[in-house]
Amino acid sequence: MANPLIDRRRFVQAAGIAFLAGLSPRALHALERADAVFASAFRAKDGSYGVATVTERGEIVSRSPLPARAHGMAACPATAKAVAFARRPGTFAMVLDLAGGADPVVIAAPDGRHYFGHGCFSPDGRWLYASENDFDANRGVIGLYDARENFARIGEYEAFGIGTHDLSVSDDGAMLIAANGGIETHPDFGRTKLNLDRMEPSLALIDARDAALPAPQPAPERWGRLPPRHIALDAAGQIWFACQYEGPRNDRPPLVGRFSKGEPLAFLDLPEETVRTLGNYVGAIAVNRRLGLVGVTSPVGGAAVTIDAASGRVIESRNRPDAAGIAAAPEGFAVSSYDGRMQETQSDVAWDQHILRLSGHG
Amino acid sequence: MTRLCRLLPVLVVALMPLSAAAQDGASKLQEAAVPAVMTKAVDEVIRPGYRRFHETATGLTGAMKALCATPSADALAKARAGFASAVAAWSEIEIVRVGPALEENRFERILFFPDRKGLALKQVQATIAGKDEKDTTPEGIAGKSVAVQGLSALEYVLYGSGAETLEGAADGFRCRFGAAVAGNVDAVAATLSADWEKKGGIADQWKTPGPDNEQFRNGREAIQALLGILVHGVETVRDQRLEAFYKGKDKPVRPKSAIYWRAGLTFPSITANLKGIKALFVASGMEQVLDPADRAIAADIVALLSSLGETAPTVDADVAKAVADPKDQEKLDALLRGTRELLVRLNDGYGGAIGLAAGFSFADGD
Repeated sequence: MANPLIDRRRFVQAAGIAFLAGLSPRALHALERADAVFASAFRAKDGSYGVATVTERGEIVSRSPLPARAHGMAACPATAKAVAFARRPGTFAMVLDLAGGADPVVIAAPDGRHYFGHGCFSPDGRWLYASENDFDANRGVIGLYDARENFARIGEYEAFGIGTHDLSVSDDGAMLIAANGGIETHPDFGRTKLNLDRMEPSLALIDARDAALPAPQPAPERWGRLPPRHIALDAAGQIWFACQYEGPRNDRPPLVGRFSKGEPLAFLDLPEETVRTLGNYVGAIAVNRRLGLVGVTSPVGGAAVTIDAASGRVIESRNRPDAAGIAAAPEGFAVSSYDGRMQETQSDVAWDQHILRLSGHG
Repeated sequence: MTRLCRLLPVLVVALMPLSAAAQDGASKLQEAAVPAVMTKAVDEVIRPGYRRFHETATGLTGAMKALCATPSADALAKARAGFASAVAAWSEIEIVRVGPALEENRFERILFFPDRKGLALKQVQATIAGKDEKDTTPEGIAGKSVAVQGLSALEYVLYGSGAETLEGAADGFRCRFGAAVAGNVDAVAATLSADWEKKGGIADQWKTPGPDNEQFRNGREAIQALLGILVHGVETVRDQRLEAFYKGKDKPVRPKSAIYWRAGLTFPSITANLKGIKALFVASGMEQVLDPADRAIAADIVALLSSLGETAPTVDADVAKAVADPKDQEKLDALLRGTRELLVRLNDGYGGAIGLAAGFSFADGD
C-alpha cells in the first residue's frame, strides 16, 4: 500500500494544484489549542473552504485551509490530531495536528473510492476509520488507516450496506457502527440520489477486529424511505440514530431512535409538532453524556431540539434558522448554523453540517 | 462579429460584483410570488418539455420503422434527423432530475451516461451480433440492461460501425433493434409526460406549496427545489458534459468520452441543456420572487446563460478536432469559466437574495 504522504499524484488529484501552491505549512499548524473546544468545517465568504477551531463561546480560534468542502470530523482520543473528511463525493481527508507540532497530512481516497464525509478513531488512537463509497460496486466500505504509519490505508471493511454515512465506534473499540442510508450515489452523477424508489437503509454493527457482522440488525418495517444518517453513543452504550425522510413532505415519520447491541430498534414517539419543526430531516445528532441529553438539529426546519435520553421526552425545541452542527456543551449543546452563528458568536463563515467536540464536556 | 468577440460577454459579466443584498443575505424571498412562478415552471416549461420529448420520440420511432421497411440513404437521413430532434428535446428537459424521471430507472433508461466502462458499446455490439428476436420489440428491450435501452444505444445503431448496412436490405436485425430501442424511449417518454399531466399529481403539488403538500411545505422549499434544478443542471453541463472530454488547455483530452460524439450532437445537446436551464429561469419568472432591488442578479444570470448558449453551438461538431483547435479551446475554456461563474451567481447571488444561506445545498441530504 502506498504511503499517502509520498503519493503525490493522488495528493494532487485530491487537493488540486492551486491549493498545493497556496499551502503554508507554518500557518496550517499554528493552531492555538488553549481555548479551542470545538472544530467545524466551514465555507468562507470568498468561497474557499477550511476547518476552524472554536471556543466554548463560538469564537474562532484558528483556521486551516482545505482544498474543497469538508463535512464531518473526527478527533483522536490519544493525540491532539483531528481529521476533516471531504463531503461526498470528495476524495481527500486532512489530518491536522491541533497541538501545532506536525505538518498536516492529506489522505487521498484510493482509486474507485470516495469519502462519504464521516469517520472516527479507535479509542487508542491507532486506527482511523472512514466511511467510503466503492461506487462501481455500489457498496459502502470502511477504510482502515494506520495512524502510526502516517495514515497509510491498510485495508477496508465491508459496511454491509450502501450509502454509508456516519460512522462511530463503541467505547471499548470492539464494535463499529455504520449508518447505511441505503441511497445509491455515483460520482458520475454528482450528488443525485439514484434509487429513492428502492432504498435499503440499515444500521450495521461490525466487529472492529475481524470485520464481521456480529448480528444482522433487523430492519424495522418503517425504514422504507427513512434512512438513518447520523449516530451518537450515550454513556450506557446505547446507539442513538437520526433519520432524513425521503418520502412525501406531509408525512410525519419518526426521526430519532435508539438501540443497544442485541436489542430491537426503538423509535422515539416524538410529538407531531416536533417532527414538523424538524422538517422530516435531522442533519446532526449529539449526546451530552454528563447531562443525559440528546440533541438534534435540522436546517430544513430551522430548529434545534433537546431530548431527555432516559425518558425520550422533548425538553426544549429552539427555533434556529439554518441550524447546522450540534455538540455537547457545559449547559447542554452548542449549535452552529449555515449563516455563521455558533453559540453567541456570529462569524463571517458558513458553518458546515457538523461540530466536533475536542475536549471537556460530553 | 469575430468568434472571440462572442465570448466576451461571459468575461464581462464575470467581473461584475455580487449585489450587496446577495452578500449580506438581508433580502428575503417574496413568498407571495412563488405559486405563480411554480405554476409557470410546470405549465410553460416542464409539461411542454416532456410533451415535446414524447412527440419527438414518437417521430423517431416512426422514422426508424420507415427506415427498416424501406431502407435508403434518404430514410437513414430522416431517422438520423429524428434522432437529433429527440436528443435536442431530451437535452432541454433532462435538466429536471427530480420527480418521475428518477423513478424506476427512467432517466438511465433514456440516457445511460456517463458510461466510463463503455458498457453500452459492448452490450449493443453483443446484442446486434446476437440477433435474438426478443431484442426487436420495445417490451423485450425494456427487460434488458439499461445501457442498451436508450439514446446512447440508438446512437450506436445509427452512427456506429456497421451503420451503413441500415441503407441495405429491408428489415435487417440492426434496424429492427434500433426501432425497438426508439419504441422503448417513446414508452418511457409517454410515462413521464403522463405523470406530469396527471390531475392531482406532481404538477398540481408543485403549484400549491403548503403544509399538506407532498412535495413542498412552503414557498421557500419550492423555490429552493427550482433553484436546485438549475444548479444541478449547470453542474452537470460543466462536470459531466464538458469536463468529460475537456478540462482545460494542456490537460489530457478524451473526445470519445463526449456525449453523442458519434452523431456529432455533443454541442447541440449542451446547447439544448443551456436552453432548458434558461427557459426554466426566464419563462417561470424566477426573478419575480426577488426583492426588486436585487433583480440585477436575474439579469446577470440571463446574460451569462445567453452568452453560454451562443458560444456552445459554435464549437466544431467534431469533438476530436475541437479539442485540438486553439480557437475552439478558447471557446471551451470560456464555457468552463462561464458555467463556474453561473454557479456562483445561482448559489450565492440568487440563493443569497432569497435568504438562503451561502451554499444552500448544504441541506441536500448529508
